[in-house]
Amino acid sequence: MDNRKYNIYFNTHTISGIIICAILYVMFFAGSFSFFKDDLASWQKNQSYLSHKGEIKKDFNYIIDSLSKHHNLKGRDVDFTLQRHQAGVYVAMSASHDPIVKQQKKPKKKPEQKRGRGRGRGGDDDSAFFTYDFSQQKEADYASSYTIGEFLYRLHFLAQLNQVFPFRIGVPFGYLLAGIVSFIFIFALITGLLLHWNKLITNFFTFRPWNKRKIVWTDLHTVLGVIGFPYQLVFAVTGVVLIFNSFLIVPYTKLFYKGNDEKIYKDLGFGVKEEFAYANKPLPNRLDLNQLVSQTEQKWQKSDLSLVAVRNYGDENMHVVLQAKPHTDAQLNGVGQLIYRVRDQKIISENAPLEAASYVQTVRGLIYHLHFGDFGGRPLRVIYFVLGILGCIVINSGVMIWLVARDNKSIPERKRKFNFWTANVYISSSLSMLPVTAFSMIALLFLQKPSQSDIYHWYFYPWLVLSVYFLALRNLALVNRQSLLLSTISCFLLPLLDGIVRGNWFWNTYQRNAFDILFIDVLFLCLALISGLILWKTEQRKRALSSPEEASQKVALPNNA
Amino acid sequence: MPANKKYLTKSPWIKLSKILAGSLGGYLVTLSFHAALTRAIPKEYVMVTSFITGYLLWATLLLVAFLIPKSWKTWAIYALLTGLFSGIYFI
Repeated sequence: MDNRKYNIYFNTHTISGIIICAILYVMFFAGSFSFFKDDLASWQKNQSYLSHKGEIKKDFNYIIDSLSKHHNLKGRDVDFTLQRHQAGVYVAMSASHDPIVKQQKKPKKKPEQKRGRGRGRGGDDDSAFFTYDFSQQKEADYASSYTIGEFLYRLHFLAQLNQVFPFRIGVPFGYLLAGIVSFIFIFALITGLLLHWNKLITNFFTFRPWNKRKIVWTDLHTVLGVIGFPYQLVFAVTGVVLIFNSFLIVPYTKLFYKGNDEKIYKDLGFGVKEEFAYANKPLPNRLDLNQLVSQTEQKWQKSDLSLVAVRNYGDENMHVVLQAKPHTDAQLNGVGQLIYRVRDQKIISENAPLEAASYVQTVRGLIYHLHFGDFGGRPLRVIYFVLGILGCIVINSGVMIWLVARDNKSIPERKRKFNFWTANVYISSSLSMLPVTAFSMIALLFLQKPSQSDIYHWYFYPWLVLSVYFLALRNLALVNRQSLLLSTISCFLLPLLDGIVRGNWFWNTYQRNAFDILFIDVLFLCLALISGLILWKTEQRKRALSSPEEASQKVALPNNA
Repeated sequence: MPANKKYLTKSPWIKLSKILAGSLGGYLVTLSFHAALTRAIPKEYVMVTSFITGYLLWATLLLVAFLIPKSWKTWAIYALLTGLFSGIYFI
């Protein structure tokens, strides 16, 4: 590699990395925890989803009945999109295709239920959207079903920023920012790989933990960066696709579909592709959705229902489309579809979920599964979590390299000050995340039915306070040690208080098969132990450095997990 | 040690020009390239593949913009490529 290229890789890698470091850290940290989103939800609600799995009865008829009390269902389409763990369903009822029903459109009895979570469809009619909870047998209230798991999950793509940004720019600001950061991350990964290309193998086997601090960080950054590279590249690419694919979808819709975005989504395998004309003749048969669903579930073993779509309700041309996705241990990708005609109770087409998946479904499935890590059970998610936290360390060590490389006499004092404060803001806000996460979860133990705003308050304010405090210390080494100390204490208190307050000691949760709650407690105990161990090692090393002046200058490993 | 300034662009305007050429120009090349592919391959396949290849290509083109010494050359090459690919797509 010639010198020019090397220096260009170096410079672009540094600049792109330093621009995105803070946000990327938040995304990696919160994202790693969101692998355990459902476990965190169970933990917070103290209701183990695992201990009564399989008892949930999916009553579609009941939803249809209660909808018909408020709406004339004739000629409508109703889509039931099932949630991943089958305990809830997102219901979308369209306006009627029937000309008469369309005209007698009554003033709404209930306020609109839109929650902006599904793909928006026009709001010019009496359509309805809501989430229904099968286990509680009532409409789920989003704000009250909001948990710390949901919070961290949404934080990892910056959803909370959507509301903060004061200007309307046509797209949610948080998602746009998350998309841009992920894209710059791809760029930083490519330049980083090229930068190390020549010495990839020798550097990989080099680790000198007892050397000068700059060398420690360089080694850490390189080694962990190389180990994590495939993982991080996968997450950078799938991350852009999942959060801000508008970069491609918008021009494709314009170019290939003349702006018809419903059609592009159908072509990409979302929803139901088939269209059913409205016959405008009433249908005498009654539809028993529950029976059809349970029959199909019997037939399609090792799969989970993903969509139940009713077309032209109560019309002669009424159809039901069922879609199911295979369990990942049976087959990674694929969608089964069955179309049922209500008039003569006939199945007019059927593809089982375990048939070979189409190319479009395969690629989309891969993007999804690789990002969510849902194809290998809990062990895989733990590996994903560890790799994600290693990503945080790569980001941290990168910032430290950047700072230390610029901390010498040849750089003007003003610039050095600026550099220090940049790193200080970054390190203070990032290292405060772990203790704050544990702290806010402890706070949730003492709150009666914490709501979404409670979680916001108990997360963001402590985060702000702790960051400002760390900033004021103006000593990165001290920030690191205090953060480790706070992490050790708060992560240890979490399982302890869960035992004292709610009786969820390890053996109790184990006995009642509440492995999801048990897992969160054990996870935090492990985090406490690891933080404590690192703190102990750091203190030990600090004492070993005899001269006090040197010790105060030493900035410890920016390692927070 | 920060990168050696000797090899880097000094003028802020040329830097900006390179960034724009790489991001905007690279984006247009990526889009037109995949659009051109739809002439040979069904568009669903191209679209869904581009979810992966598109972003990688775009990021690579952004880097290439910095590697080409003169920024006007980058603009010229990217404009030429965009023209070529859109030509294939529209004709």
